[in-house]
Amino acid sequence: MKVRRKAAVLRVDLTEAEAAVLAGMLDDLADALAEPDPSDPVIQRLYPDGYSDDDEASREYRELVQGDLQADRISRLRACRAELPAGAGRMALDDEAVDRWLRVLNDLRLGLGTRLGVTEEADLDESQPAVQIYAWLTAVQDLLVTHALP
Amino acid sequence: MSTPTFTPQREAVADQQADETAEADRPWVTVVWNDPVNLMSYVTHVFMKVFGYPEEKATALMLDVHHKGRAVVSSGPRERMEGDTATLHGYGLWATIQHDS
Repeated sequence: MKVRRKAAVLRVDLTEAEAAVLAGMLDDLADALAEPDPSDPVIQRLYPDGYSDDDEASREYRELVQGDLQADRISRLRACRAELPAGAGRMALDDEAVDRWLRVLNDLRLGLGTRLGVTEEADLDESQPAVQIYAWLTAVQDLLVTHALP
Repeated sequence: MSTPTFTPQREAVADQQADETAEADRPWVTVVWNDPVNLMSYVTHVFMKVFGYPEEKATALMLDVHHKGRAVVSSGPRERMEGDTATLHGYGLWATIQHDS
């Protein structure tokens, strides 16, 4: 992946393999979000409690915001999926699109990181393909955020 | 964490009433908690984007989250804190609402 800023637009060049990995990750997350299972740790991480010490207030908060959070999350995911080239190719992202990609990449990392049991301390087994993908997503997100305008 | 109570029963009732008055006046805050996935650069970006904080303030808050485990990122009426928390949840940050302590 190569990222270059050209005025207000960020040009992101993807190889065929990179586009394929992202497409697979986005589709998997779309499946998990389509029928969210409240007992799934990934869903729990994507939709945390609003209050750490008040279950009733957390329930009310959830009733208030969950629908919008879900709809917005799915709509960002779909927009990124539609923008992704089918093979090797370039995406031209304006500020809004960069912010959207950062959020979707973060959702992918939260999902995969939760499945891998990522902690601050534990070293991940880098021979695992999923760990390599997680590390790559981390590098991609970091690259995009350093090129993002605040 | 629990706090040992030495207050006798009757005074405890008066204290509780005083607490409730104080509770209503105390502002609410949005707290962001450290988590092992969110990148430091991304968290700084989110604080700048969501709250319009200058880079220096956003970085200082991010470092508090990273080193102290949590940081208060906004304060105000409860409804606004719920809005801030929902926005941060939309960015994948681990945020909660609580009374200012």
